Amino acid sequence: MIKTLRIALREYRAAVRTKGFVIGLVIAPIVMSGGFLGIKLFEDRVDTGDLVIAVMDHSGLVTQAVVKAAQARNAESIYDEHGNKTMPAYVIEPVDAGAGDIAGLKVNLSDRIRTGDLHAFVEIGPDVLRPAGEGVDARISYHAENAAVDEAREWIERPINNHLRGLRLSEAGVSDSAHTEILSWVGVEGMGLVSVDPETGEVIKAERSSKGRALGIPFAVVMLMFIMMLMGAIPLISAVTEEKALRIAEVMLGSVTPFQFMMGKVIGGVGVSTTASMVYTVAGLIALKQFGMAGEVPPGLVAWFITFVLVGTVMMGSFCVALGATCSQVNEAQSLTMPALVPVMVPMFLLIPITLHPTSTFATALSLIPIFTPMVMMLRIASPVTIPAWQPWVGLIGVMMLATFAIWAGGRVFRIAILMQGKRPRMADIMSWAIKG
Amino acid sequence: MNAVEMRNVTKTFGNVTAVDGLSLDVPDGSIYGFIGPNGSGKTTTLRMMMNIFYPDHGTIRVLGEDAHGSSHDTIGYLPEERGLYKKMGVREILRFYGNLKNGKDVDREVDRWLERLDLSDWGDRKVEALSKGMSQKVQFIAAVVSNPKLLILDEPFAGLDPVNTEVLREAVREIQAAGTTVLFSTHDMSIAERVCDFIFMIFNGRKVLDGTLQSIQSTYGRDTLRLRCEGGASALENLRGVEKVRDFGQVQELRMSESSDPQKILAEVMSRTVVGSFEIASPSLHDIFVRIAAPGAGEDQDD
Repeated sequence: MIKTLRIALREYRAAVRTKGFVIGLVIAPIVMSGGFLGIKLFEDRVDTGDLVIAVMDHSGLVTQAVVKAAQARNAESIYDEHGNKTMPAYVIEPVDAGAGDIAGLKVNLSDRIRTGDLHAFVEIGPDVLRPAGEGVDARISYHAENAAVDEAREWIERPINNHLRGLRLSEAGVSDSAHTEILSWVGVEGMGLVSVDPETGEVIKAERSSKGRALGIPFAVVMLMFIMMLMGAIPLISAVTEEKALRIAEVMLGSVTPFQFMMGKVIGGVGVSTTASMVYTVAGLIALKQFGMAGEVPPGLVAWFITFVLVGTVMMGSFCVALGATCSQVNEAQSLTMPALVPVMVPMFLLIPITLHPTSTFATALSLIPIFTPMVMMLRIASPVTIPAWQPWVGLIGVMMLATFAIWAGGRVFRIAILMQGKRPRMADIMSWAIKG
Repeated sequence: MNAVEMRNVTKTFGNVTAVDGLSLDVPDGSIYGFIGPNGSGKTTTLRMMMNIFYPDHGTIRVLGEDAHGSSHDTIGYLPEERGLYKKMGVREILRFYGNLKNGKDVDREVDRWLERLDLSDWGDRKVEALSKGMSQKVQFIAAVVSNPKLLILDEPFAGLDPVNTEVLREAVREIQAAGTTVLFSTHDMSIAERVCDFIFMIFNGRKVLDGTLQSIQSTYGRDTLRLRCEGGASALENLRGVEKVRDFGQVQELRMSESSDPQKILAEVMSRTVVGSFEIASPSLHDIFVRIAAPGAGEDQDD
């Protein structure tokens, strides 16, 4: 064991002394948090210039209502308590949609948008008051350069529809005074669950559900895990190949068994991951405390995180060491990096669906497939949804079993492959070595 | 007692038999030379002694223990291909290798060997700053720094200049004098002749020579004539009773056929030219090596 630890210590020192490790330790969280930081920094930095929106109303019913609604919004909502303008004013420009060349008019409006003279134009169909069926004459279309994510489009729906509903209610004989109540809209607040304080027995009120809690923490945790496993395991492929190419492996095998050699490298990799994990975890917790968000971290999250990083790195590291031993040249090792990344890349691709539906059958099943367990299970644990308590434990047992197999099979492949030179062995050969030894 | 005992050891790689039914005994405290042409199975044999490769058949005992499943801290090993971590310091890497062998007084031994091989000034430099010869000496120190009972050196003198060759040769002698059994492979027959107590030759995976230099030479008898003559090799063509003439420029070496009379050969040479010197000798190790391993004597194969 002491020899394994000596090799691990050398590996660890060799890795953490490099500029790459130090730079990676600093750069990785900056890159990772850059997106969130950018959103935070720029969310208040809105362009407050007026947005001119042309309204081409073929029904002749809506334009004035939109103008009034825009004026009301501009008067009430776009200034803060100090009188500073915080949002753009919407300036409605009615467009005469009478007889004429409608197509030419729309081209002209589009050109004005392209030159920045106009923000958007809305075309309201002549039959918009009676939108039975899906006739084109009853449509409302919003034209802009980025219409799909345009906040003005989202705003303009409401005054148009409120006015049309009011007209329909009046036709139905409902008095104007009743319109406001009938058309009133109550939003649905996102709240957490109610719980009971185990000490006092008091009911603890539900807290407002935040996007940071729902999305930010799972994303951050999994991104950290991704980086940890990359730092600890993936470099082992090229490190082993380089030692093989430089003939260091045979010198080492004069002093230690192949298994001790392999495990020393894997433990060294785990040490690198653990160091980075500790740095990021402590820094993250301090940052959360500073921003008053420490309570957002679910209980047990840190312990599960460190546990899954450790076993995940052992599992991946063992495979990586064995794969590295099958290569004779560093460029061969580089070509194996992509397959070795599968256990961390697949969960990254499925980040959004798993975060949105952490208790779905798909997410549950994927989190119990050992090769994906560390990342997917952490994603589920970090989500605000409570997952069954047994699932992380079963996932952990699965990963530990796979890690044990990876060490066992990886050791067999490593012992045979580490001194082989020349042509890379076929996958069938590697499988045969792993099974038969 | 023998430091190494191999019995009927066979090792194959796919369809190639690298070592074929090999048996040998390395006497304790001796210097044992392992010779053979490239691809004859030397390195494979040494790796099996080191337990890096497992034999397919046969048994290997090293320092009284079966060589299976464990590495020996009491064996020093210098592989044919040198390998050092380039980014580590010289002293640092030697301590690492010494500690990996659970050596005693490693720090003191490292400093002693660095001084002994004139590398003290390089102890704090990185390995990548060393010349090839220096790297080889550092690799040698890595093999001996733990004071092993058995030292296995695979081509320790390959690529060294004469000065460094002499330095390492003396070091090997010192180590043996301190009680360590030394086994090394070499292509340099003159070193094998000068240094080794026993010589073992492997060819095509099989043992072809095993014994002291004298015993090996005695099996070939005194069938070699060395002479200097005017006209050199051209004056020695088609001599009766001579199988082969090797021309070294100033000296020619003649191998006599069986039951030939050296006096008759000398008389015939003298009838052709003026003879400057004449000697009846045993064949050199180099000559014996070439006789066994020359093309036609067997098929070459790679490890």
